[in-house]
Formats: sequence, C-alpha cells, structure tokens
Amino acid sequence: MTFSVQRVSAIIVKDVKDLFKNSYMILITILLPLGMAALLSDSDSDDASLLGMPINLALVITGAFVQATMMAEEKEKNTLRALLLSPATRMEIILGKSLLSSLITILVVIGSIFISKMHVPGLFYFTIMVVLSIVIFVSLGTIIGLISRTVMETSIVGLPVLVIFTYGSLISTTLDNPVFSTIISYLPTESFSAALIGLEQNGGFTEIKWHLLNMLLWAIGSLAIAVIVYGKRRFDN
Amino acid sequence: MRHEIEVRQMVKTFGKKTALSGVNFHVRRGEIFGFLGPSGSGKTTMVKILTSQLLHTAGSVQVFGTDVSKLRDPSQLKRIGILTDNSGLYDRLTVYENLELFCRLYDVDVKRIDEVLEEVNLIQDKKTAVRKLSKGMKQRVTLVRALLHKPELLFLDEPTSALDPTNKKQIHESLRKLNESGTTIFLSTHDMQEAESLCQRLAFLDHGKIVELDNPHNLRVKYGDSTISLVLRNGSRIQIKQDEAGAQTVAQYIAKGELMSIHSNEPTLGEIFIQLTGRSLQ
Repeated sequence: MTFSVQRVSAIIVKDVKDLFKNSYMILITILLPLGMAALLSDSDSDDASLLGMPINLALVITGAFVQATMMAEEKEKNTLRALLLSPATRMEIILGKSLLSSLITILVVIGSIFISKMHVPGLFYFTIMVVLSIVIFVSLGTIIGLISRTVMETSIVGLPVLVIFTYGSLISTTLDNPVFSTIISYLPTESFSAALIGLEQNGGFTEIKWHLLNMLLWAIGSLAIAVIVYGKRRFDN
Repeated sequence: MRHEIEVRQMVKTFGKKTALSGVNFHVRRGEIFGFLGPSGSGKTTMVKILTSQLLHTAGSVQVFGTDVSKLRDPSQLKRIGILTDNSGLYDRLTVYENLELFCRLYDVDVKRIDEVLEEVNLIQDKKTAVRKLSKGMKQRVTLVRALLHKPELLFLDEPTSALDPTNKKQIHESLRKLNESGTTIFLSTHDMQEAESLCQRLAFLDHGKIVELDNPHNLRVKYGDSTISLVLRNGSRIQIKQDEAGAQTVAQYIAKGELMSIHSNEPTLGEIFIQLTGRSLQ
C-alpha cells in the first residue's frame, strides 16, 4: 500500500483554506467552546465535576463537529467522490481530514485552558487523556459526518452526542436514576473529568488507571466503528 | 490493437434486481466509445464498475489489460480521468484553488492549470470562487480537473446534461481535441446528438443489456429503409425507393427541371433506438 505525505498535506492545505472561508464552522465549532470557557472562568462553583467542563466542551464541540461538518460537506457536495477517484488513498483522505480536526481541537483545548484559567494537573497524563479524547471525538465526528446526508443534518444527528457527552453528569444528577447514572459513568468525558479530579488531588497512575483504560477502550471502539462506516458509506450513492 | 477496456459476460445485480446482464464490449485505444441509453438503463452503473466504484457480480472487466480492481492503485488511477454530471467542486474555493488540490494529488505541475483553463476559455475566471460560476462554467472546471493529468482513458457520464448549446459545443470541441491527442474516451449519455457528433462506435443499452453495437454510419445503413426523398420546385415532397424504377423517376424529374433537392432517409440514432426497443432515449 502506497502512502504519500504530499497528498495528505494537499488535503490539509485545501481544508485549511476552506475553513477560513467558512464562517459557520469558525463561529459554531471554534468560537463557541472558547466562549463557554470564558463563561466557566467566571463561575464561582466549587463543583469538582466542572473542572473538566471547558476541555470536554472543546473536545466534543470542536473535535467531533469540525470533523463531522467536513465529512458531511464533502459527501453533500460530491467532492468526497472526486477525492476517492483521485490517486489519494482512503487512508490519506481520512488522515488528512482527521489531522486538521485534531490540530484545531488541540488549539481550542489550549485556548480553553487559558481562557478558563484552569490549572492543569499532571501534564503527562493530561496529554494522554487529551490525545485519547481527540481520537474518540474525531472518530465520532467521522461517523456523524458519514451517516448525515447534509451539513445541516450533522446538527440533528450529532445533538444527542453533544448533550450526552457534555452534560451527561448534570442530566444524571437531575434524573437520579441509578441505571442511567451507571451508564453515564462509563462515558469518556466522565472518565476524563474523574481522572482530572484524581490528578488534582495529587493522584498518580494507580488512581486514574481505570479511567484511562475506559478512555482507551472508547478510542479503540470508536476508531474501529469509524473505519467500518467509512468503508461502507464513503461513496455517496 | 490493444483494447483499453474489455468487458465479457458481465453481470451486476443489486439484491434480486439485475442492473446489467451479459454485457460484452471492448473499447479500442484512441477511440471515443459511446454508451447510449435512456435514464435507468444501467449506464451510470457501468461507469461505476469501470472506474472501480462498484464491484461487478459476475463476468470479467479489464481496464488497461488488467482486472478492474487494480484501478484502485494510485499509479493506475493517474492513468484515468472521470467526469460525471454531479462531480463536485469546493464552492468556497476559487477555480485555481480547486485545481491546485488535484495537481498536488496527481503530482502535476501547477503551471498546467493555466494551460488547460486557456483551452476551455476559463482563464479569466481562475480567481473566481466556484459558487459564483454558472452551471456550464462549473462543468467546464470539472472537465479541466479531469484533464489536468492528461489521462490515457477518460470516463464521461452525462458530461453535458443540463448545459446550454453553446457550453455543450465548447465541451465537445475540447473532447475532440483531447481525443486527437490520443486519449481514449468512454462516453455514457442519453443525448443521441452528442453520441452522434462525438462517437466512433456506439453501444445501445436497454434494461441492462446491449441491444446493438456498431459505428453510427453502419447503424444508419442497417436500420435505414433504403429510400430517398425528393423535394420538387412546386414544394411537394415525394419518397422513392433506391432501385431501378426510383432512378428513372429521379431522371425524369431532373429532365423536366422540376427537381429542387434530393435527401437520404437515414434514421437518426434516436429512431434506431425506438426501432430496437420500442421506447425513446429520453
């Protein structure tokens, strides 16, 4: 199997040019999480679960929706077909798109940390958690983008993802249902927040290992599903 | 002569529905081969199979002398170009930016962009955002994109559908030039005039089967009724058979000075299609 860095970079350069001409994408998926981070920076709440909220928002909104919008638009405008019929391989196309989404997400995560004045405990483990989360949400974004017929549809298809992953713990507290609470506790965003609290309380690998394992399983699972869906839905027949 | 495409006993089914059945044909190197049929006859399915977007169910499909599945290799994909009526462009990007991407994907010098844009009279629009172009102009940009890497084999699926006659003519001229420079063209269309003006050989497709295959001249001779029409000076039009009696009739009208013009009664491709299938191409 051939792999061309030139073709991957060509796709990234095209997407960067396209992104800067797309005000919807910039407003909704980049400025919104940064705005939420600004709001949370003013919050006086001592709730530990809010600690990871700015990062989780950045990961879910930017990570998933930048990718979902890019994939859905390529399908909607029949440009994905043109790419797939060019010498660019399936791997090069998805990698080009995912690398850009990941890069934007990292920048938004860093921006959110600064804006929310969040203290980052245990940089090494924090970085691993962010990388795993990016794999999870960019994969989920790929799935949402591929199963949506239009860019507008990504909002509808992706809404449950946005609500459950971002506000799962708040909904769980409100509903006070043990089954729902157990399910929510296995979400990667919950693991991310719980691990962050563990690190904040001077915990190490032992304290966060199960959360890391849960996130790793989510990353493997979502990546595998994204690969399967991409294989089946890449041609918009 | 090498065949660029060779299809033998090819079958394509979707579940229980048969889209293409027992299809046999070949496309010679350097020719424009037309696949003519009405909507739903299986033309687009054929193009998708030949470009490896769909797998055929049975039979053999070879492109460049090897199994069509080899087309997925980037080195093979560089040898083909594809233009369909729904080939997408990036609306927010300029014409140049759209083409620049494909130059990089095909490893072609970006200087080639100006050269091809000149050919289709779009050079003055190269910095225009694609969303501001008319449908005809967009179609010409997609044609340019398909030609950037000088493909050996070009697949066209309804390349001029919904275009006005001026744009259609311009695209046809570009395709003829391309063919003269050695590119083999596989044209799928329901437009009989397009097929007649461009193709050296034609296959008629109906309900997933090839019902006739030959060059346009042979088809007209084969399905013509061997009559000619005479238009006389008094305005009347008469039809006569091309036999001895007919020849005497023509001679008489000429001798009397009553004959204004003589016309052959060759059927159009559309009429031949109706003769063969009982339905029109539209």
